[in-house]
Amino acid sequence: MRIPDIAPTLSDTQMLDFCRQGFLVLESVVADEINERVCEFIGRQPYAGGNGGAFEDKGLLEQAWFVEHVLLNPQAAGAVRSLLGKNASLPTWMYNHQARCPKAAQTWHRDGCSRYGHQVNHLQVFYYPQDTPLELGPTEVLPGSHFLFNLGPLMGHYGTIKGSVPTAAPAGTIFLTAYPIWHRRAASTTQGLRHMLKYLYWRREPPRRDWLIEPDFALADLNDLENSLYGRGATGQDQFQYWHDIARMFYWLAGMQENFAAFLGADGWPMGHPPRRKPEGFGAHP
Amino acid sequence: MNDLKRQRVEQCIERFRHGELTEEQLRRTLEDLARSEPRYQDLLYLQTGSTSLNSSAHGMAILLNGELSDGPADPEDWPYKTPLEAIRDGWRVLQFPNMALIMDESKAYGLGCEFILERWS
Repeated sequence: MRIPDIAPTLSDTQMLDFCRQGFLVLESVVADEINERVCEFIGRQPYAGGNGGAFEDKGLLEQAWFVEHVLLNPQAAGAVRSLLGKNASLPTWMYNHQARCPKAAQTWHRDGCSRYGHQVNHLQVFYYPQDTPLELGPTEVLPGSHFLFNLGPLMGHYGTIKGSVPTAAPAGTIFLTAYPIWHRRAASTTQGLRHMLKYLYWRREPPRRDWLIEPDFALADLNDLENSLYGRGATGQDQFQYWHDIARMFYWLAGMQENFAAFLGADGWPMGHPPRRKPEGFGAHP
Repeated sequence: MNDLKRQRVEQCIERFRHGELTEEQLRRTLEDLARSEPRYQDLLYLQTGSTSLNSSAHGMAILLNGELSDGPADPEDWPYKTPLEAIRDGWRVLQFPNMALIMDESKAYGLGCEFILERWS
Protein backbone atom coordinates (compact mmCIF):
# COMPACT_ATOMS: atom_id res chain seq x y z
CA MET A 1 0.00 0.00 0.00
CA ARG A 2 1.40 3.39 -1.00
CA ILE A 3 0.98 6.94 0.15
CA PRO A 4 -1.50 8.62 -2.20
CA ASP A 5 -0.55 11.66 -4.21
CA ILE A 6 -0.49 14.23 -1.46
CA ALA A 7 1.43 17.46 -1.16
CA PRO A 8 4.70 17.69 0.76
CA THR A 9 4.55 19.82 3.89
CA LEU A 10 8.18 20.35 4.91
CA SER A 11 10.25 23.34 3.82
CA ASP A 12 13.97 23.45 3.04
CA THR A 13 14.66 24.62 6.57
CA GLN A 14 12.61 21.82 8.11
CA MET A 15 14.28 19.25 5.89
CA LEU A 16 17.66 20.57 6.94
CA ASP A 17 16.60 20.44 10.56
CA PHE A 18 15.65 16.79 10.17
CA CYS A 19 19.11 16.13 8.75
CA ARG A 20 20.69 17.86 11.75
CA GLN A 21 18.53 16.44 14.52
CA GLY A 22 17.66 13.06 13.07
CA PHE A 23 14.06 13.48 14.13
CA LEU A 24 11.02 15.68 13.65
CA VAL A 25 8.19 16.20 16.15
CA LEU A 26 4.61 16.67 14.97
CA GLU A 27 2.80 17.53 18.15
CA SER A 28 -0.86 16.62 18.68
CA VAL A 29 -1.54 16.02 15.00
CA VAL A 30 -3.89 13.08 15.59
CA ALA A 31 -7.39 13.97 16.82
CA ASP A 32 -8.38 13.08 20.38
CA GLU A 33 -11.20 10.75 19.31
CA ILE A 34 -8.77 8.74 17.20
CA ASN A 35 -6.25 8.54 20.03
CA GLU A 36 -8.98 7.27 22.34
CA ARG A 37 -10.09 4.75 19.75
CA VAL A 38 -6.51 3.48 19.40
CA CYS A 39 -6.21 3.08 23.17
CA GLU A 40 -9.54 1.22 23.30
CA PHE A 41 -8.44 -1.06 20.49
CA ILE A 42 -5.17 -1.83 22.24
CA GLY A 43 -7.00 -2.39 25.53
CA ARG A 44 -9.18 -5.08 23.96
CA GLN A 45 -6.23 -7.16 22.83
CA PRO A 46 -5.33 -10.27 24.78
CA TYR A 47 -1.89 -8.91 25.61
CA ALA A 48 -3.39 -6.07 27.64
CA GLY A 49 -2.71 -6.57 31.31
CA GLY A 50 0.66 -8.18 30.75
CA ASN A 51 3.87 -7.00 32.21
CA GLY A 52 4.56 -4.66 29.38
CA GLY A 53 7.10 -4.83 26.62
CA ALA A 54 7.21 -4.63 22.88
CA PHE A 55 4.78 -6.74 20.90
CA GLU A 56 3.67 -6.75 17.32
CA ASP A 57 0.26 -5.25 16.72
CA LYS A 58 -0.66 -5.65 13.07
CA GLY A 59 -4.34 -5.49 13.93
CA LEU A 60 -4.37 -1.72 13.90
CA LEU A 61 -2.78 -1.61 10.46
CA GLU A 62 -5.82 -3.46 9.12
CA GLN A 63 -8.24 -0.83 10.41
CA ALA A 64 -9.29 1.65 7.72
CA TRP A 65 -9.86 4.40 10.28
CA PHE A 66 -6.32 3.94 11.64
CA VAL A 67 -4.80 4.09 8.18
CA GLU A 68 -6.77 7.20 7.32
CA HIS A 69 -6.29 9.19 10.50
CA VAL A 70 -2.87 8.06 11.72
CA LEU A 71 -0.76 6.60 8.91
CA LEU A 72 -2.19 9.04 6.37
CA ASN A 73 -2.65 11.87 8.82
CA PRO A 74 -2.14 14.93 6.58
CA GLN A 75 0.71 16.41 8.57
CA ALA A 76 2.50 13.13 9.18
CA ALA A 77 2.04 11.84 5.65
CA GLY A 78 2.99 15.24 4.23
CA ALA A 79 6.26 15.09 6.16
CA VAL A 80 6.84 11.51 5.02
CA ARG A 81 6.11 12.60 1.46
CA SER A 82 8.73 15.36 1.81
CA LEU A 83 11.42 13.04 3.14
CA LEU A 84 10.73 9.89 1.12
CA GLY A 85 9.18 11.29 -2.03
CA LYS A 86 6.08 10.12 -3.85
CA ASN A 87 4.63 6.63 -3.60
CA ALA A 88 6.30 5.76 -0.31
CA SER A 89 5.10 2.45 1.10
CA LEU A 90 2.96 2.46 4.18
CA PRO A 91 4.05 0.46 7.22
CA THR A 92 3.88 -3.30 6.89
CA TRP A 93 4.26 -3.98 10.60
CA MET A 94 3.84 -2.15 13.85
CA TYR A 95 5.06 -2.68 17.39
CA ASN A 96 3.53 -1.34 20.54
CA HIS A 97 6.30 -0.53 23.00
CA GLN A 98 4.18 -0.88 26.07
CA ALA A 99 5.54 -0.09 29.50
CA ARG A 100 3.81 -0.76 32.77
CA CYS A 101 5.02 2.15 34.88
CA PRO A 102 6.87 2.94 37.04
CA LYS A 103 9.83 1.32 35.37
CA ALA A 104 13.58 1.86 35.18
CA ALA A 105 15.03 3.39 32.04
CA GLN A 106 15.83 1.15 29.11
CA THR A 107 19.42 1.01 27.91
CA TRP A 108 20.47 3.28 25.06
CA HIS A 109 20.37 1.55 21.71
CA ARG A 110 19.85 1.94 18.02
CA ASP A 111 17.40 -0.46 16.45
CA GLY A 112 18.49 -3.64 14.74
CA CYS A 113 19.73 -3.53 11.15
CA SER A 114 20.68 0.14 11.45
CA ARG A 115 23.13 1.37 8.86
CA TYR A 116 24.83 4.70 9.34
CA GLY A 117 25.04 7.03 6.39
CA HIS A 118 23.48 9.91 4.58
CA GLN A 119 20.72 8.01 2.82
CA VAL A 120 17.15 8.22 4.06
CA ASN A 121 15.39 5.25 2.55
CA HIS A 122 12.95 4.66 5.34
CA LEU A 123 11.61 6.49 8.34
CA GLN A 124 11.12 5.13 11.80
CA VAL A 125 8.00 6.63 13.33
CA PHE A 126 6.83 6.83 16.94
CA TYR A 127 3.22 7.63 17.81
CA TYR A 128 1.85 8.33 21.29
CA PRO A 129 -1.89 7.64 21.50
CA GLN A 130 -2.02 8.96 25.07
CA ASP A 131 -0.53 11.91 26.92
CA THR A 132 3.06 10.95 27.66
CA PRO A 133 4.58 13.30 30.23
CA LEU A 134 8.02 12.83 31.76
CA GLU A 135 6.51 10.78 34.57
CA LEU A 136 5.32 8.16 32.09
CA GLY A 137 8.79 7.55 30.64
CA PRO A 138 8.66 8.99 27.12
CA THR A 139 11.25 7.90 24.62
CA GLU A 140 14.52 9.77 25.00
CA VAL A 141 16.55 10.54 21.88
CA LEU A 142 20.03 11.92 21.30
CA PRO A 143 19.85 14.57 18.56
CA GLY A 144 22.41 14.04 15.82
CA SER A 145 23.22 10.51 16.94
CA HIS A 146 22.13 9.10 13.59
CA PHE A 147 25.67 10.03 12.55
CA LEU A 148 27.42 8.54 15.61
CA PHE A 149 28.74 5.14 14.70
CA ASN A 150 28.21 2.52 17.36
CA LEU A 151 26.85 -0.97 17.73
CA GLY A 152 23.77 -1.55 19.85
CA PRO A 153 25.37 -4.11 22.19
CA LEU A 154 28.21 -1.68 22.95
CA MET A 155 25.89 1.10 24.13
CA GLY A 156 24.38 -0.64 27.13
CA HIS A 157 26.59 1.04 29.73
CA TYR A 158 25.78 4.60 28.70
CA GLY A 159 23.79 6.55 31.27
CA THR A 160 22.88 10.20 31.21
CA ILE A 161 24.03 11.90 28.02
CA LYS A 162 24.35 15.64 27.73
CA GLY A 163 22.07 16.98 25.00
CA SER A 164 19.62 14.08 25.06
CA VAL A 165 15.97 15.05 24.71
CA PRO A 166 12.92 13.46 26.34
CA THR A 167 10.03 13.35 23.90
CA ALA A 168 7.35 14.12 26.47
CA ALA A 169 4.30 15.06 24.42
CA PRO A 170 0.53 15.23 24.41
CA ALA A 171 -1.62 12.50 22.92
CA GLY A 172 -1.62 12.37 19.15
CA THR A 173 2.03 13.33 18.76
CA ILE A 174 4.03 11.64 16.01
CA PHE A 175 7.82 11.61 15.70
CA LEU A 176 9.60 10.88 12.46
CA THR A 177 13.13 9.66 13.02
CA ALA A 178 16.19 8.59 11.06
CA TYR A 179 16.40 4.86 11.69
CA PRO A 180 19.87 4.73 13.34
CA ILE A 181 19.09 7.42 15.93
CA TRP A 182 20.04 6.51 19.50
CA HIS A 183 17.07 6.23 21.79
CA ARG A 184 15.66 4.54 24.87
CA ARG A 185 12.55 4.47 26.99
CA ALA A 186 13.19 6.90 29.83
CA ALA A 187 12.60 6.02 33.47
CA SER A 188 8.99 6.46 34.58
CA THR A 189 7.94 7.48 38.05
CA THR A 190 4.16 7.23 38.06
CA GLN A 191 1.59 4.45 37.85
CA GLY A 192 0.17 3.77 34.42
CA LEU A 193 0.50 2.00 31.11
CA ARG A 194 2.48 3.73 28.43
CA HIS A 195 1.88 2.91 24.79
CA MET A 196 4.22 3.90 22.01
CA LEU A 197 3.46 2.60 18.54
CA LYS A 198 6.42 2.24 16.23
CA TYR A 199 6.35 1.61 12.49
CA LEU A 200 8.25 2.32 9.27
CA TYR A 201 7.57 4.03 5.94
CA TRP A 202 9.65 3.02 2.93
CA ARG A 203 11.06 5.01 0.01
CA ARG A 204 10.04 3.83 -3.44
CA GLU A 205 11.44 6.57 -5.65
CA PRO A 206 14.87 8.18 -6.06
CA PRO A 207 15.45 11.25 -3.90
CA ARG A 208 14.94 14.72 -5.33
CA ARG A 209 14.25 18.19 -4.01
CA ASP A 210 10.52 17.75 -4.09
CA TRP A 211 9.34 19.62 -1.03
CA LEU A 212 8.46 23.23 -0.15
CA ILE A 213 11.33 25.20 -1.63
CA GLU A 214 12.21 28.46 0.05
CA PRO A 215 13.29 31.12 -2.47
CA ASP A 216 15.97 32.47 -0.17
CA PHE A 217 17.40 29.13 0.84
CA ALA A 218 21.04 29.09 -0.31
CA LEU A 219 21.42 25.56 -1.53
CA ALA A 220 24.41 26.46 -3.69
CA ASP A 221 26.78 26.98 -0.82
CA LEU A 222 24.65 26.35 2.26
CA ASN A 223 26.15 29.33 3.98
CA ASP A 224 23.06 29.45 6.12
CA LEU A 225 23.77 25.90 7.16
CA GLU A 226 27.25 26.77 8.27
CA ASN A 227 26.08 29.79 10.20
CA SER A 228 23.19 28.04 11.84
CA LEU A 229 25.16 24.96 12.82
CA TYR A 230 28.39 26.47 14.00
CA GLY A 231 29.19 24.94 17.36
CA ARG A 232 25.98 22.94 17.44
CA GLY A 233 27.20 19.49 16.60
CA ALA A 234 25.89 16.32 18.15
CA THR A 235 27.35 15.12 21.41
CA GLY A 236 30.53 13.19 20.69
CA GLN A 237 31.08 14.36 17.12
CA ASP A 238 34.36 15.68 15.82
CA GLN A 239 34.70 19.35 14.98
CA PHE A 240 33.00 20.17 11.64
CA GLN A 241 32.21 16.52 10.98
CA TYR A 242 28.57 17.05 11.86
CA TRP A 243 28.45 19.85 9.32
CA HIS A 244 29.76 17.53 6.63
CA ASP A 245 27.31 14.78 7.56
CA ILE A 246 24.28 17.07 7.62
CA ALA A 247 25.14 18.74 4.32
CA ARG A 248 25.73 15.37 2.69
CA MET A 249 22.38 14.03 3.86
CA PHE A 250 20.64 17.17 2.60
CA TYR A 251 22.36 16.91 -0.78
CA TRP A 252 21.38 13.25 -1.01
CA LEU A 253 17.75 14.00 -0.20
CA ALA A 254 17.78 16.74 -2.83
CA GLY A 255 19.08 14.25 -5.40
CA MET A 256 22.27 16.26 -5.77
CA GLN A 257 24.73 13.81 -4.29
CA GLU A 258 26.89 13.96 -7.40
CA ASN A 259 27.48 17.66 -6.76
CA PHE A 260 28.55 17.15 -3.19
CA ALA A 261 32.26 16.61 -3.85
CA ALA A 262 32.51 19.84 -5.84
CA PHE A 263 30.57 21.64 -3.16
CA LEU A 264 33.09 20.54 -0.57
CA GLY A 265 36.12 21.43 -2.66
CA ALA A 266 36.71 18.05 -4.29
CA ASP A 267 39.36 16.10 -2.42
CA GLY A 268 40.05 19.07 -0.21
CA TRP A 269 37.86 17.75 2.56
CA PRO A 270 38.54 17.79 5.40
CA MET A 271 40.12 21.20 5.18
CA GLY A 272 39.80 22.21 8.79
CA HIS A 273 37.07 24.66 8.06
CA PRO A 274 33.81 24.70 6.13
CA PRO A 275 33.87 25.37 2.40
CA ARG A 276 32.39 28.79 2.85
CA ARG A 277 35.95 29.92 3.44
CA LYS A 278 37.53 27.96 0.64
CA PRO A 279 39.40 30.00 -1.96
CA GLU A 280 37.31 31.13 -4.89
CA GLY A 281 37.36 28.56 -7.66
CA PHE A 282 38.74 25.84 -5.45
CA GLY A 283 37.53 22.46 -6.65
CA ALA A 284 36.47 23.87 -10.00
CA HIS A 285 39.51 22.63 -11.90
CA PRO A 286 39.12 19.43 -13.91
CA MET B 1 36.14 2.40 57.08
CA ASN B 2 32.51 2.52 58.11
CA ASP B 3 31.24 3.42 61.59
CA LEU B 4 30.67 -0.18 62.68
CA LYS B 5 34.21 -1.23 61.86
CA ARG B 6 35.64 1.84 63.54
CA GLN B 7 33.61 1.08 66.65
CA ARG B 8 34.94 -2.49 66.86
CA VAL B 9 38.54 -1.34 66.51
CA GLU B 10 38.02 1.39 69.11
CA GLN B 11 36.70 -1.27 71.51
CA CYS B 12 39.89 -3.27 71.01
CA ILE B 13 42.03 -0.20 71.65
CA GLU B 14 40.10 0.52 74.84
CA ARG B 15 40.61 -3.02 76.11
CA PHE B 16 44.28 -2.84 75.18
CA ARG B 17 44.66 0.31 77.28
CA HIS B 18 43.17 -1.47 80.24
CA GLY B 19 45.29 -4.56 79.69
CA GLU B 20 42.19 -6.62 78.92
CA LEU B 21 42.72 -7.39 75.25
CA THR B 22 43.12 -11.10 74.56
CA GLU B 23 44.03 -13.07 71.47
CA GLU B 24 40.55 -14.57 71.45
CA GLN B 25 38.91 -11.13 71.43
CA LEU B 26 41.16 -9.99 68.62
CA ARG B 27 40.31 -13.04 66.53
CA ARG B 28 36.59 -12.58 67.17
CA THR B 29 36.82 -8.95 66.10
CA LEU B 30 38.72 -9.99 63.00
CA GLU B 31 36.00 -12.47 62.05
CA ASP B 32 33.27 -9.92 62.73
CA LEU B 33 34.95 -7.38 60.51
CA ALA B 34 35.36 -9.91 57.73
CA ARG B 35 31.66 -10.73 57.94
CA SER B 36 30.41 -7.20 58.50
CA GLU B 37 29.46 -6.26 54.94
CA PRO B 38 30.58 -7.04 51.42
CA ARG B 39 32.95 -4.70 49.66
CA TYR B 40 32.04 -3.67 46.17
CA GLN B 41 33.94 -2.35 43.26
CA ASP B 42 32.47 1.02 42.33
CA LEU B 43 32.70 1.99 38.68
CA LEU B 44 32.40 5.41 37.08
CA TYR B 45 31.97 5.83 33.34
CA LEU B 46 32.74 9.26 31.96
CA GLN B 47 32.50 10.02 28.25
CA THR B 48 34.40 13.15 27.26
CA GLY B 49 35.20 15.24 24.22
CA SER B 50 38.92 14.53 24.22
CA THR B 51 41.49 12.30 25.90
CA SER B 52 42.53 15.11 28.23
CA LEU B 53 41.90 14.34 31.88
CA ASN B 54 40.52 17.84 32.09
CA SER B 55 38.04 17.37 29.26
CA SER B 56 34.39 18.02 30.08
CA ALA B 57 32.17 15.00 30.46
CA HIS B 58 29.17 14.74 28.18
CA GLY B 59 28.03 11.35 29.40
CA MET B 60 28.13 9.47 32.68
CA ALA B 61 26.94 6.36 34.49
CA ILE B 62 27.95 5.02 37.87
CA LEU B 63 27.94 1.77 39.85
CA LEU B 64 27.90 2.48 43.60
CA ASN B 65 27.65 -0.25 46.25
CA GLY B 66 26.40 -2.65 43.61
CA GLU B 67 23.67 -0.29 42.41
CA LEU B 68 23.63 1.01 38.85
CA SER B 69 22.65 4.61 38.20
CA ASP B 70 22.59 6.90 35.20
CA GLY B 71 23.46 9.80 37.46
CA PRO B 72 21.49 13.05 37.73
CA ALA B 73 19.41 13.98 34.68
CA ASP B 74 20.86 17.49 34.64
CA PRO B 75 24.57 17.49 33.72
CA GLU B 76 25.04 20.46 36.03
CA ASP B 77 24.33 18.10 38.90
CA TRP B 78 26.81 15.40 37.91
CA PRO B 79 29.23 14.56 40.71
CA TYR B 80 32.25 14.97 38.45
CA LYS B 81 32.55 17.28 35.46
CA THR B 82 35.91 15.86 34.31
CA PRO B 83 37.95 12.69 34.90
CA LEU B 84 40.45 14.82 36.81
CA GLU B 85 37.80 15.82 39.35
CA ALA B 86 37.00 12.15 39.92
CA ILE B 87 40.66 11.24 40.35
CA ARG B 88 41.03 14.00 42.92
CA ASP B 89 38.16 12.41 44.81
CA GLY B 90 39.88 9.05 45.04
CA TRP B 91 38.83 7.32 41.81
CA ARG B 92 41.49 5.35 39.93
CA VAL B 93 41.60 5.12 36.16
CA LEU B 94 40.77 1.57 35.15
CA GLN B 95 40.70 2.19 31.42
CA PHE B 96 41.92 5.11 29.41
CA PRO B 97 40.00 5.90 26.19
CA ASN B 98 40.85 3.12 23.79
CA MET B 99 41.86 4.54 20.45
CA ALA B 100 43.17 1.36 18.88
CA LEU B 101 39.98 0.68 16.94
CA ILE B 102 39.45 4.20 15.63
CA MET B 103 40.61 3.72 12.09
CA ASP B 104 38.38 6.00 10.04
CA GLU B 105 38.55 9.74 10.47
CA SER B 106 35.23 10.24 8.70
CA LYS B 107 33.23 8.52 11.42
CA ALA B 108 32.42 9.58 14.94
CA TYR B 109 32.61 6.61 17.25
CA GLY B 110 30.27 6.17 20.15
CA LEU B 111 30.24 9.00 22.61
CA GLY B 112 33.83 9.98 22.00
CA CYS B 113 36.48 9.27 24.63
CA GLU B 114 35.49 7.00 27.47
CA PHE B 115 37.22 6.87 30.84
CA ILE B 116 36.37 4.02 33.19
CA LEU B 117 37.35 4.60 36.81
CA GLU B 118 37.05 2.49 39.94
CA ARG B 119 37.23 2.58 43.68
CA TRP B 120 36.19 0.27 46.52
CA SER B 121 33.38 1.14 48.88
